[in-house]
Amino acid sequence: MTLNDLLPSLQALPRAEKLRLIQLLAADVASEEALTTADSERAYPIWSPYEAFEGAATLLDALKQEKAAP
Amino acid sequence: MTHHRFAYVEVDPSLGPASALPYMPITLIRGQQEMEALALVDSGATLNVLPYDLGLKLGAVWEEQTVPVRLSGNLADSEARALLLTGRTAELAPARLAFAWTRSNDVPVILGQVNFFMEFDVCFFRSRSVFEIRRRAMPQGE
Repeated sequence: MTLNDLLPSLQALPRAEKLRLIQLLAADVASEEALTTADSERAYPIWSPYEAFEGAATLLDALKQEKAAP
Repeated sequence: MTHHRFAYVEVDPSLGPASALPYMPITLIRGQQEMEALALVDSGATLNVLPYDLGLKLGAVWEEQTVPVRLSGNLADSEARALLLTGRTAELAPARLAFAWTRSNDVPVILGQVNFFMEFDVCFFRSRSVFEIRRRAMPQGE
């Protein structure tokens, strides 16, 4: 089915349904764009402090000192 | 033992489930100050991280926190200092949590191995987009 086949039916839709259709198609296109660009074009920051063992030891020590404080 | 179940949060609506992460609400307490935050439960993070503004809102003063904490990854360039807070979530008993309070605001609250995972037992059910948290078993006398 082509757009030309669909067009008469779409043009006959009430205004509210045309607006709904626009929203649906816009969301659909945005979703496809997002999926195709997910790997290559977007920046995905990774904040996890991996292997920050020295920092972790510092925090454990701070907790220990607080616990030992009178 | 009491546990609480949280749903994963989809951080990017256009990506839907692909962007779902285990975020949970937590109340952070410092003295009389309390702040609500949405925290990332991050089993890959070595330690807890607190963004700069949230520390300020809790009344912490950067210059008064004298213990430097060395970070890694994207945060390696951000200066951080140790800040001890109390964390409470859902109906679970609160816990004393040590944070690397960083100068950066581009980071979420991160709950990592030290010491969130030492205080709370966490079970992820990613296939169902939920995770469960319970307080660790307390040895007698603790």
